Amino acid sequence: MKQFSKTLLSIGTALAILGSAAAVQAETIKIALAGPSTGPVAQYGDMQKIGVMAAIDDINKAGGVNGMQLEGVIYDDACDPKQAVAVANKIVNDGITHVVGHLCSSSTEPAADVYEEEGVLMITAASTSPSITEKGHQLIFRTIGLDSLQGSMAADYIANTVKPKTLAIIHDKQQYGEGLAQTVKDGLEAKGISAVMFEGVTPGDKDFSALIAKLKKENVDFVYYGGYHPELGLILRQSAEKSFNAQFMGPEGIVNADLAKIAGDATEGVLATAPKSFDQNPENKARVEAITAKGEDPSGPFVFTAYAAVQVMSDAIKAVGDTDPAKLADYIRKNEFDTSIGKVTYDEKGDLTESTFLVYSLHKDGSKTPAAQ
Amino acid sequence: MSEASLYFLQQLINGLTIGSTYALIAIGYTMVYGIIGMINFAHGEIYMIGSYISFIVIAGLLGMGMVALPVILVIALVIAVFTASTYGWAVERVAYRPLRGSNRLIPLISAIGMSIFLQNYVVLAQGSRDVALAPQISGSWTFGDPQLFEVSLSYMQLLIWVVTVVCMTALTLFISRSRMGRACRACSEDQGMTNLLGIDTNRTIAMTFVIGAALAAVAGLLLGLYYGVVNPFVGFIAGLKAFTAAVLGGIGSIPGAMLGGLILGVTEALTSAYFPSEYKDVVSFGLLILILLFRPSGLLGKPEVEKV
Amino acid sequence: MMRQNFYTAFFAAGITLILTCLMVGVKLTSEGTELRVVGATAAQWTWIFGGIAIVFLSQLFRDQISAASAGIPRPNLGKLLPAVSVQARLKPWLIAAVIVGLIVWPFMVSRGAVDLATLTLIYVMLGLGLNIVVGLAGLLDLGYVAFYAIGAYTYALLSSYFGLSFWVCLPISALLAATFGFVLGFPVLRLRGDYLAIVTLGFGEIIRILLNNWTGLTGGPNGISGIDKPTLFGLEFNRRASDGATTFHEFMGIDYSSSYKVIFLYLIAVLLVIWVLFVINRLMRMPIGRAWEALREDEIACRSLGLNRTVIKLSAFTFGASTAGFAGCFFAARQGFISPESFVFIESAIILAIVVLGGMGSQFGVILAAIVMTILPEFAREFSEYRMLLFGLLMVLMMRWRPQGLLPSKRPHMELKR
Repeated sequence: MKQFSKTLLSIGTALAILGSAAAVQAETIKIALAGPSTGPVAQYGDMQKIGVMAAIDDINKAGGVNGMQLEGVIYDDACDPKQAVAVANKIVNDGITHVVGHLCSSSTEPAADVYEEEGVLMITAASTSPSITEKGHQLIFRTIGLDSLQGSMAADYIANTVKPKTLAIIHDKQQYGEGLAQTVKDGLEAKGISAVMFEGVTPGDKDFSALIAKLKKENVDFVYYGGYHPELGLILRQSAEKSFNAQFMGPEGIVNADLAKIAGDATEGVLATAPKSFDQNPENKARVEAITAKGEDPSGPFVFTAYAAVQVMSDAIKAVGDTDPAKLADYIRKNEFDTSIGKVTYDEKGDLTESTFLVYSLHKDGSKTPAAQ
Repeated sequence: MSEASLYFLQQLINGLTIGSTYALIAIGYTMVYGIIGMINFAHGEIYMIGSYISFIVIAGLLGMGMVALPVILVIALVIAVFTASTYGWAVERVAYRPLRGSNRLIPLISAIGMSIFLQNYVVLAQGSRDVALAPQISGSWTFGDPQLFEVSLSYMQLLIWVVTVVCMTALTLFISRSRMGRACRACSEDQGMTNLLGIDTNRTIAMTFVIGAALAAVAGLLLGLYYGVVNPFVGFIAGLKAFTAAVLGGIGSIPGAMLGGLILGVTEALTSAYFPSEYKDVVSFGLLILILLFRPSGLLGKPEVEKV
Repeated sequence: MMRQNFYTAFFAAGITLILTCLMVGVKLTSEGTELRVVGATAAQWTWIFGGIAIVFLSQLFRDQISAASAGIPRPNLGKLLPAVSVQARLKPWLIAAVIVGLIVWPFMVSRGAVDLATLTLIYVMLGLGLNIVVGLAGLLDLGYVAFYAIGAYTYALLSSYFGLSFWVCLPISALLAATFGFVLGFPVLRLRGDYLAIVTLGFGEIIRILLNNWTGLTGGPNGISGIDKPTLFGLEFNRRASDGATTFHEFMGIDYSSSYKVIFLYLIAVLLVIWVLFVINRLMRMPIGRAWEALREDEIACRSLGLNRTVIKLSAFTFGASTAGFAGCFFAARQGFISPESFVFIESAIILAIVVLGGMGSQFGVILAAIVMTILPEFAREFSEYRMLLFGLLMVLMMRWRPQGLLPSKRPHMELKR
């Protein structure tokens, strides 16, 4: 019986290997780009796409990687954890072993489990939740800082610069939003500031009038929102209508021109923590021009982190001379990379050893400027 | 007034606003159910389409440089109601009329299919992202003690109330006084008999779909202006809520749909006022189950008679 | 006649124009922070007018078209099956052949195909379970997905908090889902028809919202990840063994391949489906199964014959729920990740569509419909963004084409010979 099943299994594997061998011998190295291209936060997926495609273009123009061209293949997870797992399995089934993505932390975490198990190298350019890299995964990296950093920075800024009288923290219950909200709450409590409200909202909800009345009743003058722009935009808009004038602050998930489209004038002066604007870096000038020439916007917070993710991957492939994910992961952990977001090195967990967030002030025309310290 | 009662008043205002729009959408469910006994799951999508059409018209007119807001809104209302009614009519003609007389699950599945179709049709035509319209009607009345709690009633909320009351009155008059309304009522009593009396039942049924769609389009315009955001998926959630409202009030009964909508809206607002807001849907569905346990045909529904 | 058709065609074309001109012909975009509209591209207008032309012509020549289509014989899937007497003789062989085929098949196809087949088998299980409630007992349940969710979360929670294995959790999941079915069924089953539908729908939503909000236990919208895969007598199918365990490939002395796991999961699914089919077939031949169908046909007659309506309805509801719990437990194990998003209303709707499309009450039909409903969207992946559009359209068209279902159930019956 044992012998029989062994034979069967080896037939199966032989077929599977034949199939994957055909994929490896191809002329191109496929890089899967996983993120939302539909759904409420598709804007961030676009930013990632702009960065990845620009990087692939630049690398291919410069002769590719070890004589092979890169090819980006787009997969849509709509920022939904369920679809993210389906997409991850699809990527594995399609024989692709290099992934840039996913975008939302709640999608990235379950997808990362699949990639680790199936031997796929993943670099996320946008997921900031710390728990993604806390499971001892070997093949999972990122080119963006952690929420623990971003959250404590927001807490410092609130405590030292804003000094609110009554503070409320609202989040969208998702991994990213609630994780950040919790970090901010802990950071503030360490400084002796406590929030009068810590409450979740349902993503996709449209009516926040009851919540706003509640905030108004508590005389809240500062609200930290952990989540993405669609819900915050509506909260801002309905607050303005109901003459509730508190100062709002959020993470990089709200830094998007669409916030101003939804909230209009109410956007003016909203605070946000976000990665440094890499499009202002002088060494990225040519890249910014190339992106602008295509009619795309280089200023989104994830454009250059995504660009850097492709750079890390291709540099590693160049140096190792192989596309085997385990070898690449080993190389990435041990070496320094010169990328569009500066020099990057990795720690054992796969996180950046150094990363920068800044506090920005958002404006009603969709732009942002560094906030007063 | 004390702070607590002012706060209650504010939440009541919020609840009545959202409840009025539920009521407008619920009418479509209840009328269709009353006349042919089917749940029209695609009705929520008609509301969403109404919202999109009004956004398109408003954005278009503003883009052409028109500034008179009342004129813009009236034009948007007319075009949205007209187009959405056409959708309502076409859906009935294509997906439901050929199935009339078959097992009652068949039109239900067809309706779910239609709902998926319409949602994805709008995704293809307009994209799946949120479309945002800048606030058109802003400002509010505030009253109460600024030291304690200031209650605000925005002009938009007031507009929603006024339009809902006007629509409901017009509908009630139409159903009770006009020829077509009498035909509708006759149809829901006994279709075969109505047909014998020389009333075109097909036309009457089509008419109920058109009226339901028109009211959904009004709700689409109002909620579109109120929230300022629309995406292809709003119809489904709103439809589910409105359907719940219709059942709560007693499906098939028009005053029931109005009452059900208001109760549901106020329940949601008060739940979010005194408990964490994420549990509002649990409370409203729980309330529905409770009411049905004690009144199996809803609040104002006629008890079903068992026939052999 | 032609003139009549001409008016109708003209009218239909006009309606199509109204439907499409604003929705497809104009697109909302934003310019800076302002909302703007832009006219559609020439290609889109070609589509619109192409569509209008098709509607116009099909209405104009509808007599000819319907005459022509009447000439095409409608496929009668029932005829494909051999006669009842032959069936009885062939049955054991046929079943054996199908089972062998199902077991050998995955070794010959790609990993993706096996994965899809596993998903199909989950829907087969769900379809068979709901078939008891809707098809046999005639109770309209729009919240069936709640029991599926309960099964899935039972395994996910027991596995991640207490480390219980899949095989232990399988009966627990089924039992817990059945308990929920029983508890819910008790008060609501006295509601009639569509009121029952909305209450079950509400129950489904309540379960989903609770799972979504009880962040402390269920992880809220983030779901539960890293759920253990089933093991084969303690052998794991992972690349690296967890503490104190052996992996399958080490035990067998072969190289690791992730397709073993996929195939193993598929085989479990086959096993579960066979088990479910077996149980349901037995039940249907028992007095309780006969009572379900009798109740569907005529409730009042049933009561007059002294059948206890509550017990009958409740048993159907409970058995249906336990099957969903089974499927849910397996789903959680296969995915390794679950979140409330997997248990939305549309999932209930698709399972219901499987039952109706299959021909209510017919098990073979349900299996066929489950295959159609899961494979179709996969094939339609070629059309990427048109996929769900086509899926919705097909649901409508299938209801028009075969309202009785693909394979309506045929009950053994006797006819009097003259």
